[in-house]
Amino acid sequence: MTTTRRRFRVISATGLALTALLAASACGGESQDEADGKKTLRMLVNVTPALPVTFYEDLVAPFEQAHPGVDVKIEAPTAATGNVQETLTQQLAAGTEPDLLGGQTTAAEAKVMATLPNEPWVTDTPFAKELQIDSRQWTVGASFQAQSLVFYNKDAFQKAGIAAPPATVDEFTAVLKKIKQAGGYTPLETAGEWVTAAQFQQLANAVVMQNEPNWYSKRTKGEVTFANSDYKRYVEVYKSWIDDGLVSKNANGVKYNDSLVDFTSGKAATYVMGNWAVPTIDQAKPKFGVGVFAAPSFDGKPVPQVGGAGDLYSVLNSSKHKAEAFELVKYLVSDKAAVQKQLVAEGNFRTGFSYQASPLTQEVQKIVDAAPGAVVAGDGFGDNTAPSGWSAELTKILQKLYLGDSAEQAIAAMDKWWTGNAR
Amino acid sequence: MLAPALALVLVFILVPIGIAGYLSLTDWDGFTPRPEFIGWENYRRIFDDEPLVQAAVVTLVIAVVGTLFANALGLGLALLVDGPGRFKAVARGALFYPYIIGAVIIGFLWSAILGSNGAVNSVLHALGGTGIPFLAEPTWAIISLVLVIIWANFGVTMVLYLAGLQTLPGELMEAALIDGANAWQTFWRVKFALLAPVVTINLVLTMISLLRTYELVLALTAGGPAGTTQTITYYILTISFANGKLGYGAAQAVLLMVVILVVTVALTAMRRRAERDVAA
Repeated sequence: MTTTRRRFRVISATGLALTALLAASACGGESQDEADGKKTLRMLVNVTPALPVTFYEDLVAPFEQAHPGVDVKIEAPTAATGNVQETLTQQLAAGTEPDLLGGQTTAAEAKVMATLPNEPWVTDTPFAKELQIDSRQWTVGASFQAQSLVFYNKDAFQKAGIAAPPATVDEFTAVLKKIKQAGGYTPLETAGEWVTAAQFQQLANAVVMQNEPNWYSKRTKGEVTFANSDYKRYVEVYKSWIDDGLVSKNANGVKYNDSLVDFTSGKAATYVMGNWAVPTIDQAKPKFGVGVFAAPSFDGKPVPQVGGAGDLYSVLNSSKHKAEAFELVKYLVSDKAAVQKQLVAEGNFRTGFSYQASPLTQEVQKIVDAAPGAVVAGDGFGDNTAPSGWSAELTKILQKLYLGDSAEQAIAAMDKWWTGNAR
Repeated sequence: MLAPALALVLVFILVPIGIAGYLSLTDWDGFTPRPEFIGWENYRRIFDDEPLVQAAVVTLVIAVVGTLFANALGLGLALLVDGPGRFKAVARGALFYPYIIGAVIIGFLWSAILGSNGAVNSVLHALGGTGIPFLAEPTWAIISLVLVIIWANFGVTMVLYLAGLQTLPGELMEAALIDGANAWQTFWRVKFALLAPVVTINLVLTMISLLRTYELVLALTAGGPAGTTQTITYYILTISFANGKLGYGAAQAVLLMVVILVVTVALTAMRRRAERDVAA
C-alpha cells in the first residue's frame, strides 16, 4: 500500500513538473521579454507570394524604431493549410494565441478580439462601419480590395473579332463562345482549390447583392433563399459554360498559381480574379495586352464591386500589451508610408493615398471609381456573414457541376447547407 | 524507473485523450470561453453526416489498398536488393528516399506532375492528346492519391523487411536447397513464414499511418474534386478549424481513435495466429 502511494506521488510529482516545464516554455517569450526590458508583440499574419514574412518585418520596422521598448514578432500560419483562421483557432485551443492578427477574420473570431477605440484612425478606415458586429469595431483595414474584375487577353479578343468588353452576362457568354469558335484559347480560366467558389462569388455576389446588400444576413434569417434569387440564374449560366466547353472540364485539377500562369502565358482569354492578381500579372510581363472590365450584370447596369477592406488587423483580448498593440494597429492603418507600402504590395486602393500604379492598376482604379459601392466577398464580414465554412462548401457544390450535377442540384445543396449551418 | 515514462504517457497521451473526450460532448467552436455540454449529440450526428461517411469510405480504400500494395512492393523490393553489392546498396538508399521527403512536399511534387497543367498532361497535349484528369475527376483522383501514397510508403516497409531478411538463419535456406526446394518454395515456406513478425509490424504500422492520411491529401488534391478525396482526418480538421465545430470534430477524432485501436488489435490478433502457426 505504502509503495503504491509512493509510486502515485512520484508519478504525480513528475507529471506536475513536466506540466510546469511545458507551461514555462510556452511563456518563454514573456520571460525573454522581461529580461530584455522590451515588450514583444506577436502578430500572426496572412502570408502569400505577394506578402511574405519579410514584407511584414519591413512594414513594422519603422514602428519598432519609433518605439524602442517594443519588439514586433511576425508569425506565419502554422496550420497545415497555411490558413490564418485555422492557426488562430489552434493557438486559442492551446492557449498560445498571438497579440495581434493580420488577415481576414470571421464573426466567430470577433468574440476573442478587443474593441478598438472610437477614434478617427479607426473610423476613417475603409469599410469601418461594415466590419462592425453588434456595433462593435473589432477589426480594421488599411485598404480596399476590388474583386469583381475580369482580366482579358486583348489579342484573344481581337482574334475573335470582339470590339468591346461585355456589359451583360449574356454578352459575356457570347464573347466566350466567339473565343471558343476562333480557337487557340481557353475562353474562361477557372481552377480548383478555393478558386472555384471565389470566382463564382466575384461574379454572382456583385449581381445578387446589387439589390440586397445584406443578402447573407437575410439568408440566415430565412428571408431569402438561393432558389428564389439571382444566384439560381447565375448557377444556370455557370453550368451552361461548363456544358458548352467555355471553361476547361479539368479545371478542378488546376491550382491557383497555375491558373494565373495559364492566363499570363496566353493560354486563357479571360480570368476572373481580385485586384491582388495585378502585381503578379504585371511581373509576368505577358506578351499580349491585358485589359480588365467589371463583372457583367444581367441588365447591363454597373454592379457594385465584390470586395471590402483589405490588410485587416485585430488585437486579441488576451494580449498583455493591449495599449502597444493598439498603437501598432494605428500605425499600420494610418501611417502614410505604411499604408502606401501595403497598397503597392497587392495593388489595393484607399481614398487619399496614391502611389505609382501600373497601367493595369489604373484601369482597375477606374472600375472601382465607377462602381456603385461594394458588397461582401467570401464568407462576408460584419453582421453580413455566412456560416463558417461557407466558401469551402460552395467550392464542393460548384465543383460537382463539373462532375455532372445539375444547376438545380447545386442550388438545392446551397440552401440545404446554409439552413443546416446557420446559427 | 517507470515513473517518468508513465508521466509522459499521462501528459502527452492520456490527458489529451481526456480533453478530446470532454470536448466531444460539447458544442465548442474554438472561441467561446465556456462550451455548452450537449451530451452525446455530436456522436448521434456522425452517422447522419453524408460527407463523413464518404470520407470514411475513401479512408478505408486508402488504408486497405495502400497497406497491401505498399507491403507487397516493399517486400518484393527488399528481396531484390537484399544482400551485398554496390548497386544493391545504392538501390536501397534510392528506394527509401521517398519516405524521407515530407508528405506535403510529395503532394506538391506529384500535383506538379499529375495536375491538369502538370508535366504528364503537358506532354500529352504537346503530342496532340487530350490529357488525363488525374486530379480533376473523382475516380482518377482516388487512383492517383492511392498510387502516390503507395509510392511514399513502400520505402519504409522495404527497410523493415530488409532488416527481417538479414536476421533469417542462413542454415534454413541451405536446408531448403538441400531438400530440393525451388525459389518460390524457399520464399513462401521459409523466408515469408519466418518474416511473420515483421509482416505483422509492417501491416499494423502502415494501416495506422494510412488511416490518418492528411498532409498528402491537402497538398495533392485539397480534398477535391468536390470533396471526393477527403479522408476522415482531413474532414475532421476542416470541420474543426475551418468550420469552427471543434466539439463535433473532437467526437469524430475520438471515434477514429477507437476504430484505429480496434483495427490494430484485430490485425495483430490475426497475425499472431499466423506467427503461432509458423512456430508450430
